[in-house]
Amino acid sequence: MCEVALAMGFREYLARRTVYTLATVFAVITINFLIFRVMPGDPVSILVAENVIRPEMIQEVRRLYGLDLPLWEQYLLYLRNAVSGSFGFSFQYRRPVMEEILDRLPNTIALMGSATVLAIVIGILVGVVSAWKRGKRADITLLVGSLFFHSVPVYWLGILILMLFAYQLRLFPTAGTLSRPPPTEFIPLITDYLNHLVLPMLTITLVLYGTYALITRNTLIDILTQEYVTIARAKGLSKSEIMFRHAIRNAMLPLITTIAVSLGYIVGGAVMTETVFSWRGVGRMIFDSVTSRDYPMLQGAFFIISFSVILANYVADVLYGVIDPRVKY
Amino acid sequence: MSQKAPLLEIESLKMYYQLKDKRYVRAVDDIDLSIHEGETLGLAGESGCGKSSIALTITGILPDNAKILGGKILLGGYDVLRLNEETLRRNVRWKIASIIPQSAMSALDPVIRIGDQIAEAIMLHETVSRKEANEKVRRLFELVGLDSSRTGNYSHEFSGGMRQRSMIAMALACNPKLVVADEPTTALDVIVQAEILKLIEDLRARLNLSLLLITHDLKTIAEICDNVAIMYAGKIVERGSTLNVYENPRHPYTRLLLASIPNLRGQRRKLLFIPGAPPDLLDPHPGCRFAPRCPCATQTCRQEEPEMITIKGSSVACHHAEEHL
Amino acid sequence: MLKRKGRFSAYLRRIRSFSSEFFSNRLGVFGFVVLVAFAAVVAVGPRIAPYNPLSLKSIGVGPPFAPPSWIRLIDPSVPESDTFGLLGTDEIGRDIFSQVVYGSRISLFVGFSAALISITVGTIVGLVAGYFGGILDQLLMRATDILLTIPTLPLMIVLAAILGSSIFNLVVVIGALGWQSTARIIRSQVLSLKESPFVESSRAIGSSDFRIIFRILLPNVAPLVYVNAALTVANVIFLEAGLSFLGLGDPNHISWGLMLFYANEYMAAMRGAWWYVVPPGLCILLVVMSFIFVGHALDDVLNPRLRRR
Repeated sequence: MCEVALAMGFREYLARRTVYTLATVFAVITINFLIFRVMPGDPVSILVAENVIRPEMIQEVRRLYGLDLPLWEQYLLYLRNAVSGSFGFSFQYRRPVMEEILDRLPNTIALMGSATVLAIVIGILVGVVSAWKRGKRADITLLVGSLFFHSVPVYWLGILILMLFAYQLRLFPTAGTLSRPPPTEFIPLITDYLNHLVLPMLTITLVLYGTYALITRNTLIDILTQEYVTIARAKGLSKSEIMFRHAIRNAMLPLITTIAVSLGYIVGGAVMTETVFSWRGVGRMIFDSVTSRDYPMLQGAFFIISFSVILANYVADVLYGVIDPRVKY
Repeated sequence: MSQKAPLLEIESLKMYYQLKDKRYVRAVDDIDLSIHEGETLGLAGESGCGKSSIALTITGILPDNAKILGGKILLGGYDVLRLNEETLRRNVRWKIASIIPQSAMSALDPVIRIGDQIAEAIMLHETVSRKEANEKVRRLFELVGLDSSRTGNYSHEFSGGMRQRSMIAMALACNPKLVVADEPTTALDVIVQAEILKLIEDLRARLNLSLLLITHDLKTIAEICDNVAIMYAGKIVERGSTLNVYENPRHPYTRLLLASIPNLRGQRRKLLFIPGAPPDLLDPHPGCRFAPRCPCATQTCRQEEPEMITIKGSSVACHHAEEHL
Repeated sequence: MLKRKGRFSAYLRRIRSFSSEFFSNRLGVFGFVVLVAFAAVVAVGPRIAPYNPLSLKSIGVGPPFAPPSWIRLIDPSVPESDTFGLLGTDEIGRDIFSQVVYGSRISLFVGFSAALISITVGTIVGLVAGYFGGILDQLLMRATDILLTIPTLPLMIVLAAILGSSIFNLVVVIGALGWQSTARIIRSQVLSLKESPFVESSRAIGSSDFRIIFRILLPNVAPLVYVNAALTVANVIFLEAGLSFLGLGDPNHISWGLMLFYANEYMAAMRGAWWYVVPPGLCILLVVMSFIFVGHALDDVLNPRLRRR
């Protein structure tokens, strides 16, 4: 990717990336549409089967959802709706899809956002220590730890943490985003929220930090074998000066792009954890929608998740172009 | 030659690389070298014969798997091998001896401006302000023939020749006494090579530097070095003034090396080369290291290692040196 | 006669040198041993599992949420009638050990089948795109890129939800969405191999494209394929477990992920039924990590890289 950027200058690179991103968004919207329209079974009959509407209302509902139009026109209708942010009506929550999503989004962002930030900080620290003490006991221990938490299924870890800290030790609440009934005053409300946030956040942080630790470690090790590091040593710099002045700055590029990309998973990445801890976010919503076959909900969720990933990738691409001094303007 | 102690004195140095299976690669196997102030010494030898390791070893920089098994290095009065890291960093590295590496592209940090990298070296060893350091960098640029307004450029914005010049500028930043040039022109095209060599020689004369030129190219040594040492299989096989050694090579290896250089003028003759494979530094056989490939090797050569003897101003390590006159 | 013998012993020699190198990698050995153990469990399956979790007869063989019998060694106060079997029971009194054994079959089966699809598709796409280049390459790479950009888990969730949860659907969905990384890796290797002399000379002789791809390029990218295969299987098993945990697993069979789904649904955490939660998750973890270790060990052996000084 960086060779592409070098060859064509920043403006061209930016233009290319923008077009590409828009094309991908378009593709995602289309796929989203196709999946739900081309599936076996007609949504209305499912609604009838689920006792959401009475059989007499079928025609009416069909007209409402535009299901009596040819596929082509349905697609255009869908596009128009998508652009204006309307994704239909949720079966289980009885409100517009977007409304429910926007209601829950802050909770997911709070959870994943805090966990990601923490994971990045811890990951980079672990990676630096690992690379510094490469091959020694500290490195191996940290490495094994990172690999372990990276490969462990997040929901399993979540259940274990829940079992241990919430039920056994009774240190933290066992489920939900807030207590029932939630406190009315501001400070107790925030405290209650944070209290509920701890365990799911811990779970996600543990599972995420490994990625950053490994990338930091490997990038740094690679950098430390470069000739400019040897020359820096010959100049008389100390190991720590080399690490912080040269190595880490060179490691920033791949790190920042990784971080930017992973920010895209903030919206969709907490499905499992939110399920285990009954955290009222977009992830849990997906789980519930799957179980109750709430297709409009799934459609909206899928779109928003894809969109945020694509957006994050785009930001990462642009960021890379800005940061790398080798990309000409 | 002055009677003062040499600036650099390497005595019986043994540096081996240790492999994972604990065996040793004998990169530098008991060598002696010395360089006086103002002297240029060329260190010649095939690739992989251990000479590049010397550049770093002089200031005490060794990769993790390198072990010093014996010998002494005296640099500017400091016993390098016995100093602690702190003293080496503060007083020896770059201040007494600096390095011009082979590939300037990989030797410069790609994300830091060139001027800043040089200023870093200056501020490390002198108590000057950032402004003063930057001023010095600009003067260094002018010294090596670079546009002093371009100290803010990154390494990828310079051509190969310009990068090498900036490496030279960096090597001179702390007014070292000894500059070790490790294959400084190998990565450049011929015309630029000539320019850089000329620059190095000019600077050396102007600033009265000592120069250790490490290369496999005998022609460059002929151009700028007072003395030469030929290395083979981790050992020095011949040493002396360039004039002497090139006109009267006594070691068979030296002779073959010199003879394998094609001559542009003069008679056409068959191109000579040295048959056989480079020596195995892992498990050297007894006797002279060059014996397997030497056209004049005898039984003695294969059994006993030759001592260094002095004949008419050059030192040679060959059993039959006196016969080759 | 001599030729056949010579080839065979050369083959043996290669196997021997490969084995010695492979088994010198400690993690690889660990992974290999674990996988062999699981393979044994899968093969022997029903014979060591006393109760078939799919049959109605297995319900209620023990009290619901009963801890394993050996808990009495740690805490003798637990009455024997409250414990059951090697790994206790689930919410309707079925034996967990049997479920783990039967579950291994499903998890590993889905894992292998889906991985097979992914790897086959990915390799073919990579070979074709890399070799033919041009528009075909552009098209295939765009498709790959788009699939890579779309987050796979949500897409799989959506597809599995729509298509219904059966083993077949799971295999297809996971397999169909997992080929991108294989394709990319194979393609870049093919691109660099394309210019090499033996491919050029093959073309000069007049070999057909088909022959070049399958007789020359494929064996050369095979090491990459093997390594990628191991890692893909790990990934697929992980995904299947994840999808099952969300309730998308086939309810007519039992898999490790599905066990965790039920454990979560029936509040095993609240009842402190660690014997319900730990075994399936541990199995997933062990199998996934083993495949990763084996994959990395294979990578070290088959694709040696320059050792750093």
